Amino acid sequence: MLLADFGTTYSKFTDSSKGSKPYIRETKSLPRDLHVDIATGHNGKRFSTSYINELTALAKGGESRIATGSFTLLDCGSRDTKFIRYENGKLADMGWNAECGASMGFTIELLERYYDIDFTTLTPPATCFSITCGVLGMSHIFDEITTGVSETEAVAKFVKSIAINAFRFAGEPVTLHLSGGLCDNPLFVKSFPCEVISLGRYVLLDGIKKIAEGQT
Amino acid sequence: MGIAKTDLATLNNLPASARVGIVGVPPLQVIHAISGKTIFDLDEPIVRQNIEETILYLPRVYCAILRTVMLNSMHLDLDVIVIDVGAGKCDAALHVAAILCDRLDIPVIQTRNNDDLDFGTPLCDSRMNLVEKITAICTGVQHPQPHIRHASCHPTAGFWGVPPRDFSILKLFPDTTHVFGWTRCMENKTPDNWELETLVNPDIPTIFFSQSFCAKTAMAKHLASRHSRGLFLDSDVTAGSSTRAKIQAFLELSGVTHASC
Repeated sequence: MLLADFGTTYSKFTDSSKGSKPYIRETKSLPRDLHVDIATGHNGKRFSTSYINELTALAKGGESRIATGSFTLLDCGSRDTKFIRYENGKLADMGWNAECGASMGFTIELLERYYDIDFTTLTPPATCFSITCGVLGMSHIFDEITTGVSETEAVAKFVKSIAINAFRFAGEPVTLHLSGGLCDNPLFVKSFPCEVISLGRYVLLDGIKKIAEGQT
Repeated sequence: MGIAKTDLATLNNLPASARVGIVGVPPLQVIHAISGKTIFDLDEPIVRQNIEETILYLPRVYCAILRTVMLNSMHLDLDVIVIDVGAGKCDAALHVAAILCDRLDIPVIQTRNNDDLDFGTPLCDSRMNLVEKITAICTGVQHPQPHIRHASCHPTAGFWGVPPRDFSILKLFPDTTHVFGWTRCMENKTPDNWELETLVNPDIPTIFFSQSFCAKTAMAKHLASRHSRGLFLDSDVTAGSSTRAKIQAFLELSGVTHASC
């Protein structure tokens, strides 16, 4: 059974019947006639027989990946951010920010390429901007550069600002479980003012796998 | 006094063919006075024109319900508007009433509905499709009689808040959803009833809904945070995919399904 998480920029796949390792593809490179059995994600409905809500997939993925019954799991993707909070094994809160959380991951990747920045070499700056979303935050970078700050430092402040926004959106937990593409950005992960446990890109995929196993 | 005597006289002297726009829940005196006239609930989307037309008179970042009031008022060729202001509606309605009065060449009558006669909330607790249920509650505002009795059902979910600008989100709830908040006050015909408006059922998963930019957003968020199975949700003119997904996932993960209806 082919399962997929169709993200805005990247799509993740696994074949549950073969037990194969999950793999990732750029969404823009996918053939238009691709079809999977169960999907989640921004682009999932048009590629699948059965569609699972992204928040449900995130929650089920958290249940399968996190041993404790009380946790906050935040997914930071290309287009949006969403979180699930469980207390004692039960849903306590959730959120999906597709407006003010818009394009955070996408914008960071654009900046990385445009300014040729290696995020693995950077440490979080002491200060950050007050920004509302990825798109509007861009102007802060340009303003900062005009004051003589280096492009790399300005982008680092932007990345930290996004991490702080996401932290507040998730309810400022003491320990944050993080999923999504931004797990691969070490500067972003280090910019959170709390303990962060990175779970990687495949949590939603694990979620629909758990749901599929429950259906069979 | 819910309405000035001179304003009530104006309403009583309207011809039978008069087209009357109402905003909020008018006092019973008003409903009796306009009975038999053609009534338009201006809070609801009626005209098909683009809501962006209202930016001539109102900020774009503003309550979608009151932007709808403005759009309807601009296009419905009304003879009079009765707009409830104050605690039974909201301060913003008072501001919009002033703007309508300045912009339109028809009487714009302000009321303050302090009615305290309880008409009951049978629809709120009934087993019924939620779109039909809240539509019936909104329609009931135009009539002075109580709703016909409906048997109360065992609730599996709760909806707290005002009737949304976009009713499509209501399709996601089961028929066994009980209705709370200002919508419940509407059915009871007591829109200024704080105790009733803040009533919740702590035992059922409840979505605390508010229109974006509405003052009630603060109370929706607060009550959701105090409810052990509550989710705060706000939505502007139309509900996007993330809004729908939040409702759907919250109900699913709370063990509520349409199958339980």
